[in-house]
Amino acid sequence: MSSKEKLPVLQGTLDLIVLRTLQTMGPQHAYAIATRLGQISGELLQLNQGTLYPALVRLEQQGRIKGTWGKTQTNREAKFYAITKAGEKALAEETRRWRQISGVVEKLLAEGA
Amino acid sequence: MRRFILRVVNLFRRAAAEREMKREIDSHLRLLQEEFESRGLPREEAALAARRSYGGVEQAKELHREARSFTGAEQFVKDLRYGTRSLARSPGFTLTAVAALALGIGLNTTVFRLYDAIALKPLPVAGPDRVVRVKRWFQHRLAGDIQYNFAYPEYEYLRDHNTVFSGITAATYQVPVSAAMEGILDGQRVTGHAVSANYFAELGIKPLLGRTFLPDEDRLPGANPMIVLGYAFWEEKLHSDPGVLGRTLKLNGVAYTIIGIMPRRFTGTDLFPVSSAFWAPLSMVRQLDPGFESDWRTQWREPTRPRFQIIGRLKNGISRGEAQAEIDALVRGYLSQFRQEEPTTAITLQKTAYFRSTDDIRFQAASAGVLIVVSLILLAACANVANMLLARGAARQREIGIRLAVGAGRARIVRQLLTESMLLSLLAGMAGLLLSAIAGPPLWSMAASFLRDIRGGLTELDFGSDSRVVLYGMGLSLITCACFGIAPALRSTRPNFCAAGSPRLRGALLGVQAAISVLLLTFCGTVVSNLFQSIRAYPGFESHDVYALFSIAEAPHLRERLEMLPELRSVATGRLPLSGTFTPPINTGQALERALATYTSDGYFETLGIRLLRGRGFTHSEADVQAPVAVISESTARHIWPGEDPIGKRFSLDLNFRNQFTEFEVVGISADARFASLSEVDPLHVYLPSASQGGLIVRTQGDRGKALAALSAAAPDIDVVNLEEGFVSIQRGVFQALSVLSGTLALLAVLLAGVGIYGVMAFVVTQRTKEIGIRMALGASSHGVTRNIVLQGLRPVFIGTAIGFVAAAALMAVERSTETFPEPLARAVFAHPELYAELVLMLVVAGLASIVPARRAARVDPMIALRYE
Repeated sequence: MSSKEKLPVLQGTLDLIVLRTLQTMGPQHAYAIATRLGQISGELLQLNQGTLYPALVRLEQQGRIKGTWGKTQTNREAKFYAITKAGEKALAEETRRWRQISGVVEKLLAEGA
Repeated sequence: MRRFILRVVNLFRRAAAEREMKREIDSHLRLLQEEFESRGLPREEAALAARRSYGGVEQAKELHREARSFTGAEQFVKDLRYGTRSLARSPGFTLTAVAALALGIGLNTTVFRLYDAIALKPLPVAGPDRVVRVKRWFQHRLAGDIQYNFAYPEYEYLRDHNTVFSGITAATYQVPVSAAMEGILDGQRVTGHAVSANYFAELGIKPLLGRTFLPDEDRLPGANPMIVLGYAFWEEKLHSDPGVLGRTLKLNGVAYTIIGIMPRRFTGTDLFPVSSAFWAPLSMVRQLDPGFESDWRTQWREPTRPRFQIIGRLKNGISRGEAQAEIDALVRGYLSQFRQEEPTTAITLQKTAYFRSTDDIRFQAASAGVLIVVSLILLAACANVANMLLARGAARQREIGIRLAVGAGRARIVRQLLTESMLLSLLAGMAGLLLSAIAGPPLWSMAASFLRDIRGGLTELDFGSDSRVVLYGMGLSLITCACFGIAPALRSTRPNFCAAGSPRLRGALLGVQAAISVLLLTFCGTVVSNLFQSIRAYPGFESHDVYALFSIAEAPHLRERLEMLPELRSVATGRLPLSGTFTPPINTGQALERALATYTSDGYFETLGIRLLRGRGFTHSEADVQAPVAVISESTARHIWPGEDPIGKRFSLDLNFRNQFTEFEVVGISADARFASLSEVDPLHVYLPSASQGGLIVRTQGDRGKALAALSAAAPDIDVVNLEEGFVSIQRGVFQALSVLSGTLALLAVLLAGVGIYGVMAFVVTQRTKEIGIRMALGASSHGVTRNIVLQGLRPVFIGTAIGFVAAAALMAVERSTETFPEPLARAVFAHPELYAELVLMLVVAGLASIVPARRAARVDPMIALRYE
């Protein structure tokens, strides 16, 4: 076991994370998304790279991201996902909701202290 | 929503989605591996590290699949494909099973389709669910068409005082008239209706051509002689000529202007579904039907003679119950000012359907009876297919065993087997629906052609597949699937599955099938033999030279004029045989029963050729004054006064059904006749004298053509119907059709039973080949082996046969108890030698079906059998 305690990804936040990553970094393949997540969280988020796929499939089916096959810098083929207009809109909405909820939780915890 | 559609789409492009997924995962793994290699790991280790870091590839795939589509549904689609393949691999089994089930389902759906067309489909009016019939209930429980009789003042009162109908209409019962049109029609008999002027407007029916009545066109008696024509009449008699609009048509000699033509789908709203030839305004009702008194519009009368049927349209927001409460109170309030002989106790509002009697308990019982019989056939088919599936399950034992062994869940395999069954039943359901769509219309036109001559042109019923029929057929096939599919699926997947070891289910299925087959065979067989007997039997009266006369206009002294004709052997009045029954309670001092009573004039027995065995018939003056004397049939005499001389004895009848008995003295005894129905001799039949009841009946002598010519010369306005052609042969025809139908059902049942028994026996023999080999190696004779197998196979059949026989007897007891004249059960069921022939037939079929495979088993070479896997 690693010394750091890994956190499970909160239900429903994975979509938000993926969308945000794609928004800031531009089109990325699944591996890059996973790597980026690891970097940002400092390996804090427990994320098997395979578990990323359901989120990607779901988002693609909802029309929030779009995948196209392309080449990596090392000339490997990979599927690159890009955020769509609908995705941007959904992200804004999700972000707003997340801020609301986390704000409420924050407030609640602060009050109790 | 978009996601849902994509998921559904992914159900069917599974292979493509799988490829795409694999490609993506592979690319991901390679990228990971590259990463690890760049950190300096050797190639192999890098690949392993990549996999570790990625997590379980297969689990990821499964997650991917779940997100992409519906797992359960995807498996279902897989099962469906597998099932299709597996059914296609054994086309013999599939065809037999589908055919057996399709026959059962088709039969059931056809019956339901008829029921639907008759009882459930609404009248062809606009917004039929808001349209109701007004029906009255009498204190003395008089029932039938009479419950829809309303006097005009009652209609008027309701029209002016109700607050629940947006419109209310009145229409007569069908009125027979003679129609004449210059160069096209010369006095043909047609039937039509007189209706209130708002009739078409309130029912929301637009004419195909021309117009309908204006609001006040029914007001002035004798005014506005105009008619709207029915489509069928216009098409058949006037060749769909639109030029007839504005021309005149003579009905009973009065000229009417044709103002409109109805569309094909509107055939009228009468209680019996006849297509109306015309509709005239109520102002003309006396010209059409002279039976109406001059004061019909103002004077209330007892509702014992046909008057008007009332149909209303409920206002929006008013329920049938609310409206019924108000109408009930209104009518009873109105009636309270009269002294009623036949008090009305309640008014109900009835949903409209093609037939008025669909809420009649007898109609419902008859429909249920037919449905039960055809459901039994379906059940037999189910038992059959279940047995075939069991046998198939045993043959697939190895396949199923392997799948269980490599870790497939039992539930998963059961689901797969059930999917296969469902495929079978859905195929059968579709075939059955098709079958019933093809069979429905000819069945009705057959029935219609029998009834046409009695009641005039019948409405074409709409047999289109509405949603009810399709739902019924499909629902039925799913129920069927549950019936035949579940038990074999569970049985075949038992962990310690051993097919030959548990023959109880098989035996039970065989027994059920035998019981049902015997039940059907006995029941249908009895029906058929009864019908044949009825067709062959002498009815007890002459029919070939006897004619009934239907007068259209009034013809005074017609009987006297006809009696002068030398071409006629005799003339009388009275009710005809086979034309309805009147069965008042009879009191003979012992028990209260119901007897068939027939009013007859002098000369009646001679005219109909009914022999008088003892005593005398009625005299002219007895008929005139309705003297308290009676002629009774031989059976009646035997039944009431066994071993005594009935002449001079007395009995009394409650002629009005009001517990007011009238006494009659027996003056004569007549030979028995099949008067009420050709199917049996009337057990109790009394003839009473009357000169005024019933129509004219004549019997011709010598050349028939000459006699008919003389008749029409003497009475030009009269319709003549031959008793043989118009009544006897119609009933014989109905009986013939019924016996063909019952015979087919019975044969079908036997056929199904034979196939079922053969299938199971063949399977048992295959299963027991090794055992048989051992027995024979140990010295059993082939004869002994055959006997052993046949007896073992037939045991459930014997038990089933016995059960079926008892059930048939019980069923017939129930059927008998619903008839007016009960016959002792024993005579009905056990007296027919045909019955025993049917049982023997059943056992012979069962025996043959089991002997063939058993003999095959007995011919087995012991050495081959022992090595048989």
